[in-house]
Amino acid sequence: MSEQVTPGLRDFLLSFADDEHFIGQQHTEWIGVAPFLEEDLALASIGQDELGHAAMLYELVLDLDRGPDSDSEATDIEIDRLAYRRTDGEYRSCAFTEYPTTDWAEALVRHWIYDTFEAMRWDLVASSSYQPLANAAVRAGREETFHLRHADALIDTLSTNAEAISRLRTAVDVFLPMVGGLAGVTENEDDLVAAGVISAKSSSLHEPLRAAIAERFGIDHTDLGPTDSKPESELRRDSGRSEHFAPMISRMREVFDLDPTAIW
Amino acid sequence: MNALGLDIEAAVLTAVTSVDDPEYPGVSIVDLGLLEHVEVRNGIVGIGLIPTFSGCPALAMIAADVETAVLAVDGVDEVSVSWLYSPAWSPERLSQRGKEALKDKFTVAVQIGTRTPDCPLCGGPMVEQSLFGPSRCRSVHRCDACTETVEVMRG
Repeated sequence: MSEQVTPGLRDFLLSFADDEHFIGQQHTEWIGVAPFLEEDLALASIGQDELGHAAMLYELVLDLDRGPDSDSEATDIEIDRLAYRRTDGEYRSCAFTEYPTTDWAEALVRHWIYDTFEAMRWDLVASSSYQPLANAAVRAGREETFHLRHADALIDTLSTNAEAISRLRTAVDVFLPMVGGLAGVTENEDDLVAAGVISAKSSSLHEPLRAAIAERFGIDHTDLGPTDSKPESELRRDSGRSEHFAPMISRMREVFDLDPTAIW
Repeated sequence: MNALGLDIEAAVLTAVTSVDDPEYPGVSIVDLGLLEHVEVRNGIVGIGLIPTFSGCPALAMIAADVETAVLAVDGVDEVSVSWLYSPAWSPERLSQRGKEALKDKFTVAVQIGTRTPDCPLCGGPMVEQSLFGPSRCRSVHRCDACTETVEVMRG
């Protein structure tokens, strides 16, 4: 792989992995407190899938770091270190995936928007010239169909109730300003497109995502409002973390910090 | 050939087959379709497995069980077990023996494609109750004939 492509690929993989990690973590936090038992299990299982995707993507990053000549595999400890122990500036998550919520309507709306975006993102790499990424897309892409079926089934049921419709709509308005950043570009994406690693830039998913949200939640496209206060050209993943990042990562490190030398 | 005159590759395969799925004791991971490849070279063994789903929490346990079983094979010095990204698992990978064991020991049916499977107890028609069962690879059905609630393994 060329020297221009490798740093871009690493950044792209990292932003994808960080999103999966944070969404997976937040889904699993509903275990025991989701509105009904079956939903406890379903959302936590979906969260486990997202954490599995994160581990797979972090492993691809570690493979890049050790170079093509190494035939050893990343260990769980190395994956954990990458997932939990970077400095804040080295993370590539975004406000959308960092946002904490204890509101079920928000959790469900985010679940739907995120999985819609994730399915589009796996499509970007389905025919990637970087074969390990194309391979990962086969399984993960199929799992997204199931995740979306889950979110759609719940939203369909809730959309027959006036209070639920209003709460879902309120939740959509919470996340709309963050979807531009979700589709923010990572380092050197032009090079990645030229090399066939991704079929188009991340920012190309912004409009299709807005359109999908408008359709799903029955909002007239012109009423959708701006999805981000910044111009699209400035929506980047390396532009800093939201206010929610620090408390979230510290919550996620809580158990690790009890005994930093423990082996898991 | 090892000291006992056995084909090491065959012995390794037997060892992997002896590992059961942690959630289905008595059902081999090979019959569930998790084994993708076995490579044996000069006492060094590489095993490639595929997970049913990316988020399966049993992966580390299964890999450790496979490593222990294969290391016990005479002539094997080193084992590395990898979880592969591809191919993707699907219920078509289950062997006939695996399906029978799930049915007989656990009253679990297997869904191939979109067709709803028959009740593993009475053979009656089943209706899906929920796509979301006790784990990511299982849904919940109910038999119209005998009213049994049945877990269905699905893709």
